[in-house]
Amino acid sequence: MTVEVELFRDFWWLTFPVFGMVMACWGMAKENRAADEIIERARRDLEQRP
Amino acid sequence: MNFEEFFRDFWWLIFPLFGMFLVLTGAFKDEARANKAMDMIKSYVDQGKDPPPELLRLAGVEEASSKQPQGRNSGAWTFIVFTALAAGFGAGWYFLVRGGDDDVAFAFATVTVTMAVLALGALLILIFGRKS
Repeated sequence: MTVEVELFRDFWWLTFPVFGMVMACWGMAKENRAADEIIERARRDLEQRP
Repeated sequence: MNFEEFFRDFWWLIFPLFGMFLVLTGAFKDEARANKAMDMIKSYVDQGKDPPPELLRLAGVEEASSKQPQGRNSGAWTFIVFTALAAGFGAGWYFLVRGGDDDVAFAFATVTVTMAVLALGALLILIFGRKS
């Protein structure tokens, strides 16, 4: 049995927390994009309104 | 020491390292975002205009008044989550020690203590934290 297969057999359950970590990073990136959009919209509004 | 041995010995470090990365990144991003929002609010005020509410929320100006009941529930929920995690990892540690697997038990003990300290911190903030 190769090292990779042995490691996967012993640590397959790590896929779940790693998936959680990926989702957490994705959520944070999404939140940042939304915040940037709010600021950008406010900037445009400020420039356009007399 | 080859990669396999290294991974077997230190796999549990993934969790605290990721936690630190997330906390640090979140803190830097939050501060930068709040600063940007505050600059924008200042520009609005300088021009005699009312800043939009979502901008105030982003800067944390409206947080204290509008999120109070939810904030308290959120603190209680944080305490429950950390307590549950501490209990789960504690149970894992107990069964591993009984089974004689001391190497992995050490990792579980570390996580149990970390979660217990976080739960205690959440409880203290819940009891003694700002209420108004």
